[in-house]
Amino acid sequence: MSQIKNKKKMERFDIVSNAIITLFAVLNLFPLYWLFTSSLKNSSDVVKMPPDWWPKTITFSNYVDIFQNQPALRWTFNSIYVSGVTTILVIVIGSMAAYAFSKINFKFSNLIYIIFVSSLMIPKEIMIVPLFRIVQNFHMVNAYGGMIWPNVAGAFGVFLLKGFFDTTPNALREAARIDGASEWRTFTRIMLPIVKPGIGALFILNFVQVWNDYLWQLVVGQEKLMKTLMVGTATLMQDLNPNFAYKMAGATVAAIPMLIIFVMFQRYFTSGITAGAVKE
Amino acid sequence: MKLRRNIYAKENMTGYLFILPQMLVFLLFLVYPIIEGIRLSMYRINYQSETFVGFDNYLTLISDPVFFKALFNTVIFVVFIVILTVGFALFVASAIFDKNARYVSFIRGSYYIPVMVSMVVMSMVWSFLLNPANGLISYFARDMGLGTVNLLGNPKTVMPVIIFVTFATNVGQAIILYIAAMIGVPKDLFEAAEVDGASRWQVILKILIPSVKPTTVYITIINIIAVLKIFVVIQLLTGGGPNNASVTLMYYLYNNAFKYNQLGVASAVGVIMFIITLLLSVPQLKSMLQEK
Repeated sequence: MSQIKNKKKMERFDIVSNAIITLFAVLNLFPLYWLFTSSLKNSSDVVKMPPDWWPKTITFSNYVDIFQNQPALRWTFNSIYVSGVTTILVIVIGSMAAYAFSKINFKFSNLIYIIFVSSLMIPKEIMIVPLFRIVQNFHMVNAYGGMIWPNVAGAFGVFLLKGFFDTTPNALREAARIDGASEWRTFTRIMLPIVKPGIGALFILNFVQVWNDYLWQLVVGQEKLMKTLMVGTATLMQDLNPNFAYKMAGATVAAIPMLIIFVMFQRYFTSGITAGAVKE
Repeated sequence: MKLRRNIYAKENMTGYLFILPQMLVFLLFLVYPIIEGIRLSMYRINYQSETFVGFDNYLTLISDPVFFKALFNTVIFVVFIVILTVGFALFVASAIFDKNARYVSFIRGSYYIPVMVSMVVMSMVWSFLLNPANGLISYFARDMGLGTVNLLGNPKTVMPVIIFVTFATNVGQAIILYIAAMIGVPKDLFEAAEVDGASRWQVILKILIPSVKPTTVYITIINIIAVLKIFVVIQLLTGGGPNNASVTLMYYLYNNAFKYNQLGVASAVGVIMFIITLLLSVPQLKSMLQEK
C-alpha cells in the first residue's frame, strides 16, 4: 500500500472520515449478524422485545426444519449444479473466443468483438419474455438447460479473458507453431496455463453471479424441486409458517457458501471486478 | 502468392472455429431474444394466437397510470441510488486508499460482503428488521416514542427505505473499484502536492477525484443499468405497494408477463428498457473499445 508521507500530521478531516467509515462498516454488517443470530433462536425468542442480542438458548431446529420440511438440500444441489456447469461452459467457450480475438488474425474479428462487448451492458432480464418463450420452445422450462444456457450467452468471459490473453507474448504462439504445434494444441497447452489467474477470477465471479441470479431462475424453475437456493429461500417469505427464525435460517443457508467463497478468494474479486473498469 | 492466400484462408477458418461456440449461444440466447422482443411488442398474444396490433401495446402503456408511476419511481431510484453510491464510495475510497493494507481489506470486505450474499438474502433480513409487528427497527421506533411505524407500508417512507437498502447492499462494488483506481494513481502527483503543502482535502479534490474520472463514469453507468432492472428488493419487501408507491419498470414488466399474461405489453416495456440501456451504455462502450 502506498505510503504518502503525511503521517506526521494526520489531519483532523482524515481522522473523522475514517472513524465514520469504520462505524458504517460495522453497521453495514449488522443485518448479517442479526440474520445469523436470529436463525439460532427459537420461534418465541426471535420476536421477543426487547431483543436478545445473542440467543439465550441456541437451537438448530430451524435448520433441521429447512432441510426436512423444505427441499433445501435439493435447492442447494440445483444451485451448485447450475452455477458450476454455467461457469465451466463460460470458461470453455469464452476462453476459445477470447484467444481467437486476441491472437488470431481473422476477417471482421474487430467488428465481431465490438458486437460482443456491446452486449455486456444489456441485462437479460429486459428480454425475459422472448427469452422465456425460446426456452419454452426448447422444452427447457423446469430443466437445468433453461437455467444454464441463457447465462452462458453473455460475453463477459470473452471480455475478461481477452484482457489476459493480450498480456501474453505473441512470440510464444509463433514459437509453438514453428515447432509444429496445431492452433488447438498451442491454445490448450501453452496459452491456457498462462492465463490461469484470469480463469480463476472468471470462475469465481461467474459462479457467484449465477448463484445469486434471481429473476431468471424464478421464471424458469417453477416446480418446487427445480428451484435454486436463492429462489427457494425467497419462497419461504410467502410461507405461512409465522416463525421468522426459520426463514432467517433459510437465508443463512443461501448466504454461507458465498461468504466462504469470499473469504477464500478475496483477491480474485478485486482483480476480476476491476478488469475493464480501472486502467492501471 | 497462392500459398500466402492459403495461409490467410486457414487463419480465417481457425479464427471462426474458435469463436463459433460462443457465437452460437450469443445469437440464440441474446441477439435473437432482442429481435423477437421487438417483434412481440407489436403483437397481442393469447395462449395460441398472435395478432399484429402495431403500436397498440405502446399506446396501452401510455394510457396506464401505473406505467408512469413505475417509470417515475425507476427514475427516482436511479438518480438517488447512483448519487449516493458514487458520493459515498468516493468518500470511503479517498479516505482509506493510502492506509495500511489490513485496514483497507477490512473496509473493502465489510462493504462488499452484503454484495456477495445477494439482494435476496439482504432483502429477507431487511424485511425482518422492518417488520412493523416484531422488527428491530420498529421496536427502536416505539422505544423512542415514535409509536407504531410501518416504514414499508407508508407511501411517504417506502421509497427512501428501499433506496437506502439497495444503496447499502450494493455500494461495496463501487468502493472496490474506486480503491483499485486510486491505488493506481501515480505517486509523484501526491509527492508534488505535499511539496506544495496541500491539505488532504485539497489532494482529494484536485488530484484524486479528477484522476479516477473514468472509474466514475463506469460506476455511474453500471449502477444506472443495475438500478434500472431493480426487482428483488421490490418483490420481497413491498410487492410494489402500498398502492403502487414502489412499483418499478422491471416489476411492472414481470407482473404483465407472468401475472396478467400481457406478453405483448410486457415486451413493449422490455423494448423501452432496452433502448434506455443502449443509449446509456454508449459512452462506456466507446471507452472500453478504445483501450485496446
